[in-house]
Amino acid sequence: MTATVDRPRRMVVIEQAAILARRSVVNTWRQPAAWTPSIIFPLMMAAIYSAQFERVTELPQFPEVDSFLQFILPATILQGISFNAGEAGSALATDIETGFFDRLMASPVGRQSVLIGRLAGAAAFSALLAAVLMVIFVVFGAAPEGGLASALAIVVIAAALSLSIGGISVAVALWTGSPEATQAVFPLTFIAIFVSSAFFPTELMSGWYKTAAEANPFTFIIDPTRRLAIDGFSFADLGQALFWIAVVGVFTLGLSYRAYLARLRRS
Amino acid sequence: MVHHPVEAEGLVRSFGDLTAVAGIDLTVEEGEIFGFLGPNGAGKSTTVRMLVTLLRPTAGVARVAGFDVVREPNAVRKSIGVALQDAAIDPLMTGNELLRLQAVLHGLGRKESTRRAGELLERVGLTVAGNRKVGEYSGGMRRRLDLAMALIHRPSVLFLDEPTTGLDPTSRLAVWEEVRALNDEGTTVFLTTQYLEEADELAGRVAIIDGGRIVREGAPAALKAAVGDPTLRVEVDEGHFANARTVLAGFGEERPARAGRVAIGLSGGTARLAEVVRALDDAGVAVGHLEIDLPSLDDVFAEATGRRLEGAGASAT
Repeated sequence: MTATVDRPRRMVVIEQAAILARRSVVNTWRQPAAWTPSIIFPLMMAAIYSAQFERVTELPQFPEVDSFLQFILPATILQGISFNAGEAGSALATDIETGFFDRLMASPVGRQSVLIGRLAGAAAFSALLAAVLMVIFVVFGAAPEGGLASALAIVVIAAALSLSIGGISVAVALWTGSPEATQAVFPLTFIAIFVSSAFFPTELMSGWYKTAAEANPFTFIIDPTRRLAIDGFSFADLGQALFWIAVVGVFTLGLSYRAYLARLRRS
Repeated sequence: MVHHPVEAEGLVRSFGDLTAVAGIDLTVEEGEIFGFLGPNGAGKSTTVRMLVTLLRPTAGVARVAGFDVVREPNAVRKSIGVALQDAAIDPLMTGNELLRLQAVLHGLGRKESTRRAGELLERVGLTVAGNRKVGEYSGGMRRRLDLAMALIHRPSVLFLDEPTTGLDPTSRLAVWEEVRALNDEGTTVFLTTQYLEEADELAGRVAIIDGGRIVREGAPAALKAAVGDPTLRVEVDEGHFANARTVLAGFGEERPARAGRVAIGLSGGTARLAEVVRALDDAGVAVGHLEIDLPSLDDVFAEATGRRLEGAGASAT
C-alpha cells in the first residue's frame, strides 16, 4: 500500500527544504502587515535623519559622501532586515503553537530540512526586501557608488545578515514555542543597531557611546557595507562584512541548532 | 512473524508527576476501524502522539505497521497517515499548495505530487476550492483537506484524532462516509473520538480509555450486551427525589445520572415498565419525564467508570 520512494535521499532533503522555504516566503508575502513595516519604518527614519543631519556631512571627520542619505543607505537596509529577521522565529513559534510543527514532525521529512527551509525562506525574503529598499534609495538619488556590483553586494550582505539575526529568533522560538516571546527579542537588535556606526560615524562619537559602538559587531558589519555604498565595490569590503556576519552567525545559528535538538529530544 | 498494524504493550507516558497514560495494551487488527473512545483528558491524544512518533513513551513498547515507534520512527512515519485534531493548516495557503507540500514532505517528486494533489482534491470534493486559500474554507472543508493530506502517500494505517469534533451534522456524515470508503479499500483506521455515536457507527472494535487506562475493549455490540439491563431514567421534582430513589431501588441497581434524575438498570427489562410507573404513582411521586434506553456505549462507559461520557462537557462534575 505504501508509496514506494526510491529517490536519492539528498535530493529529497533539498526538495523538502526548498518547498518549506517557499512556504515561508509565500506565507510572509501574503501577510503584507508582516513586512510592510520593514520597508516603511526604516524609510521614514531615513527621511527624518537626512532632513535633520544633512549638514553633518560637512563636519571635518565625516567620510566623503554624495549625501547623508547615501551615508545611511546600508544602515537603513540592514535595519529593514533586522525588522524582518524576527519573522523567521515568530513564524516558527506560530507553527509550534498551532500544531503545524507536529504535522511536519509526524511526516518523514528530514529533520534538518525543517530548520534549513525556515532560514532559507527568511533569507530569500530579506533579499527581496533589500532589493526593494535599494530601488527606492536609487529613485531618491542615493545610488551606491559602485553601481550594480555594490547594490548586489549589499543585497547579499542583507540576506546573510538575516540568517545571523534570524538564528536568535529561531532559537527563542524553539525554546519557548511562543510567538510573543519571540517578538519580544526584536527590540534588542533594534537597539544594537542604534548603538553602532549605523547612523553616525564612530570617529565623531565620544564617551561610553563611542566605546560601545566600536565594540558592537554591527559596526564591523555596517562599516564595510557602507564603504560599498560610498566608496564603490570591493571584494575586500564584501568579504569583511560577510566574515563578521559569519562570526555572529556561528554563534546564533549554533544556538538555534542546539535549541532544535533540545526540542526534538524533549518530545 | 505476523505484525498487527498497531500493537502496544504497557505503554506509559508521564509529564512530571502527572501520568497521562498509565500502562495500556492495544492490538489493532489489519483492515479494521478501531475506535479509541474516552472523555477529554483521558489520555487519548497522548496515546496517539506516542503511536505517531510525536512523543516518546516513558515506558512500554509500541509497534506501528510493524516498526518500533522509538527505534524506527522514520519507517513508522512513512507508513502512517496522520490527521491530528489540533494540527492547524496555513490559512494563507491554498488546498492545492498544501497537498503538494505534504507530498514533497513524504518524498514524492514534483510531478507525482501535482498529480496526487489533483487526485485527492477530487476524492474529497475540493477540486473547485483547491485554488482558494484555506482561510476561506468551512470547518468541514478543512477537515476534508486534512484527511486528504493524511492520504497523500497511500498509508496503510490511518490515525484520525477526533476527526469530527466541532463539525455540523452534515459535515460529520461526509467525513464518516469517507472513512468508511477508505476502510473498504483496505486502510486500517485508528480513530479517536469523544462521541459515542461515532464509535458506535464506525468502529468494528472500540477501546474505552479513562484516567490513562483502558477500562473496556471489544466490539460495541458485545460490550453493550455485557452491560445487561436497559437504563430507566426518571426526572422528578426535588421534593420527590428521595422518595423516587427508594421506589426505584426495588426495580434494579442505581446507575449514574445527571442532576435531577434517578437512573436504574431495570432488571427484567422493558416488560416491567408499567409496574414502575404504578409504583411511582402509588408513592405519590410526580414524574416530570421518563425514558428507557437499551444499553449504549455510554452505559458501557458508565458501568466501567461510574461516570457519564455523554454531556460530560456540559455538566459540572
